[in-house]
Order: sequence, then structure tokens, then C-alpha cells
Amino acid sequence: MAQFISTLFNGLSLSSIILLTSIGLAVTFGLMRVINMAHGEFVMIGAYMTYVTQQIFAAVFPESVRDIYYIVSIPVAFGTAFLLGSLLERFVIQRLYGREIDSLLATWGISLILQQAARSIFGTQGVNVTAPSFLQGGVTVGGCTFSYNRIFIMFMVLLCLFIVWIIMYKSNFGKQMRAVMQNRPMAQCMGINSRKVDNITFALGSGLAGIAGCSVALLGSIDSTVGQSYIVNSFMAVVLGGVGKLAGTVLGSTIIGSASIFTENYTSSTIAKAIVLLIVIVFLQKRPQGLFVIKSRSLDE
Amino acid sequence: MLKVEHIDACYGESKVISDLSFEVPKGKIVSLIGRNGVGKSTTLKSIMGLVKTPSGKIIFDGKDIIRIPTYERVKLGIGYVPQGRDIFPQMTVQENIELGLQPLGGKGKVPDYLYELFPILPKFAKRKGGDLSGGQQQQLAIARALAADPKIIILDEPTEGIQPSIIQDIGAAIRRINEWKGITVLLVEQYLDFVLENAEEIYVMEKGSVVFKGGRNENDHNEIRRLMTE
Repeated sequence: MAQFISTLFNGLSLSSIILLTSIGLAVTFGLMRVINMAHGEFVMIGAYMTYVTQQIFAAVFPESVRDIYYIVSIPVAFGTAFLLGSLLERFVIQRLYGREIDSLLATWGISLILQQAARSIFGTQGVNVTAPSFLQGGVTVGGCTFSYNRIFIMFMVLLCLFIVWIIMYKSNFGKQMRAVMQNRPMAQCMGINSRKVDNITFALGSGLAGIAGCSVALLGSIDSTVGQSYIVNSFMAVVLGGVGKLAGTVLGSTIIGSASIFTENYTSSTIAKAIVLLIVIVFLQKRPQGLFVIKSRSLDE
Repeated sequence: MLKVEHIDACYGESKVISDLSFEVPKGKIVSLIGRNGVGKSTTLKSIMGLVKTPSGKIIFDGKDIIRIPTYERVKLGIGYVPQGRDIFPQMTVQENIELGLQPLGGKGKVPDYLYELFPILPKFAKRKGGDLSGGQQQQLAIARALAADPKIIILDEPTEGIQPSIIQDIGAAIRRINEWKGITVLLVEQYLDFVLENAEEIYVMEKGSVVFKGGRNENDHNEIRRLMTE
């Protein structure tokens, strides 16, 4: 029982990281029909930004306030990823709208460029961040240990999810975004600058991946391929959840995250990957459009 | 108010409209009528900037708008009701109307007279736009186009696939917004009687260009009937 609960706990914490990366993917695919292979690199950028922030704090500030580096690193990671995402959209992605295969190739190339850039700047050796003291250790309840950093990650993801929900469903920008998603030409006829909406949406998705990078940094060492290991799961979560609805992405991520951890726990990590992939393939045979789907004429084509 | 001068319009590589000119004077209800496939919808899409218009001028309120993007044109005061309505299916009726406020930056309030004009809209405020019937969607689309108080409203076949009693309502609504608010109307139709009843000036289109221009008198109406039925 204790083992089951701690597996569930680990599954949920993996799910929450997958969720952060999936939201960006789901939105860019839903909104712009662009498959962004470079999305994982924004996770990497976020993770490296956490490392950089830590180094700067270690060099500049006295021991006593060093711990707050992690809190500072979250907006830094978000901001950097947001800015780079915005630039990437402006100069590359914008030219690839509606060309799914081309976008796949081009963003894969960008992914390789970004990885190489990271290797050139930070070296091929992985780097580590020290978790701030308030996130070290854990709380033990009835034989199960819940580590603080994983609890923190889950709450952070919930907070991000809540903010995304507010933006999508309560703000004027969200209204514009949903209008563009449902019918692009008509949204333009309502006076919505769809280019700007695309750009900010893409940047937001990248920024969230950056925050995911902050949490990844807490869990292991950071190298240029750190994004890759999460992005595969995220793609599966998006496909499973269906495009265009927040709820689908949440459910898809939870299923993929938990399924990976559970199968990994009872088999090995390689077998787990194969099993999860198999589940997704079988599921998509039955329901190729994913769990949730927007019913509309424009998506039926 | 709106002057189209010698425009060409293309879908991809094929040219649908060539050297088309017509004029919509301020405060008038003007109709563009013609059979299927003569380029009526394309003409409206050219005005909105949704198709390629390699040459010509579109003068709105004294300004050539042919090179500016769609969303900027809308902000100048053009309301558009497309063929097939294009209601946002996943949004509620209320959200759909409020999207009409986007040209004003999403601020402001939907004018009250719209609810007077279309009393079913407040009743169905919470329903999804995609769940409404064709006639209801048409009324919603018109209300949405009017929310930001445009100077001109452009309607593409508002009677298409709608039952006769609602067609009467829509005709009355079009005349009322013209009388009450002085909003200029450009109406594209192939339903002859609806046009003869509501329009003050009528252009007949054939194969991408205007072949006849008439006003509200017996002779012109007879000529238009002849052109449309033979």
C-alpha cells in the first residue's frame, strides 16, 4: 500500500511536468496547426536558466538569501522562454502555418541548433542545481515519504494551470485566442489581429515549457537533451487528450504520466516506454481524435 | 461611403472577378444580385481582405483600404456577416455578440437596441452558438456585426437556408438598422423578391462584373427580373 501511494505520488508529479509542456504543444497545434519539435528545448532553456540564476546568486548574494534564487528563477525561466518563443514564432513558425510536415522538419532543425548552442555555452557535461533548503527533505506519512520538491512542483503546476484557465476563459485575450482557434478568417473579420494572437500564444506556450524546465532542474542533472525525454511523453499526452481543450490536455498528461511511472515500477523503464506507447496506439485505433474534441465544421475537414 | 474601383480578385491562381466597379452611397441599402458563382461572395471577401486583390482600389470613407489587413479594415467601421454565418460554435451566444466589440478593443457594451431588434438573443444568451438554428444564427451574426456600431454592414446571402417567416424578420431588421441608426447596408443576395423589397439601389452581376444598375422603380425592377430569370 505504501509503495502504491508513493508510486501514485511520483506518477502525479511526472504528470504535472508533462502537463506544463503539453499545454504549449496542444495550443500551438490547435491554434496554428504547427507541430513544434523544438518545444522540448524550451524546457531545456528553462532548466539552464534555473542553473544560471543559481550561479549568479551564488556569486553576488550572501549565503543567507541564496535560497530565494529558485523563486527568482521561475520568472526568469518563463521570461527567457517567452521571449525566445516569441522570436521563433516571428521569424520561423509564422511562415509555416498550415504546413504540418514542413513545420515538423524546420522545428526539428531548430531543436538541433538549440541543443548544440547549449552544448557550446554550458559544455557537454551535465550541470546540477542544488534544491533550496526549504525544498530539501520531505514529509513522511504512514510509511510513505513525500518529498517537498515534488509537492512544490505539483502546486506550481496547479497554479500555472489556473492562470492559463483564467487567461483562456476569462480574459479578453483568451476570447481572441479561442475565436482564432475556432475560425481564423472570421476572427479577423471581428477586428482581431490574428498574427499577434498567434505570437503571444506561442510565446506563452514556450514560457510554460520554461517553467517546466525549472521543475525538471530540481529532479536531476541538466544537459542539452533534458527536454527530449519529456517531450515524447508530452506529444503522446496531446495526441491522447485531443486538441483544443484544456481538459483533454490535463487528462492526457495524467494518464501518460501515471502509466509511465506505474509500469516502470513493476517492470523496467524501457519496457514502460514500450507499454505506454502501445496503450496510446491501441487507444488511437479506437478513437483517433483523442479523448476530447471540439465539434466544429472547421476541424472536420 | 464605399467605392469599389476596377478591382480584380483571385482564388489561388484563378481570377474570379475582373475590373469590377460599384458604389455604395452613405445611408443607402444597396444590393448586389446575381446567380450562383458570378463572384458576389468574392466581391465581399475582397472588401474584407479575405481574398487576393492584385489590382484596383477600395475606397472606404475617403481612404483606400485595399492594402491594409482585414482586422484594420474592420476597425474603420465595417461589420461583416458572412455566408454561412460563421458563428463561433464553441462560444455562447453572449460571447459571440461580445466578440463584436473587438474592433473597439473588447471594451464597451453591446448596444441595447440589438436585443430589441432580436429578442431571441437574450433568451438564448447562455447557449452554445453552434446549437442555434440557422435563422437564430443569422440573427446572432447580424447582431455581432452591429455590436461595435459600424458605419456600414455587409451581408452575404442572409436569407440562405432560412424559413420564410424569419426572412421577413431579417428584412425588417435590415431596414430598421438603416432607418434607426443610419447604418449603410451592402446586401448580397440571389433571392430576387427579398432584394426588390428591401434595396434602394441594385447592381446585377454576371461573370465577375456588373451588367446593370437600377433603382427603386417599376422599369428597373422589371429589367432586373428579366436579367435574373431568363
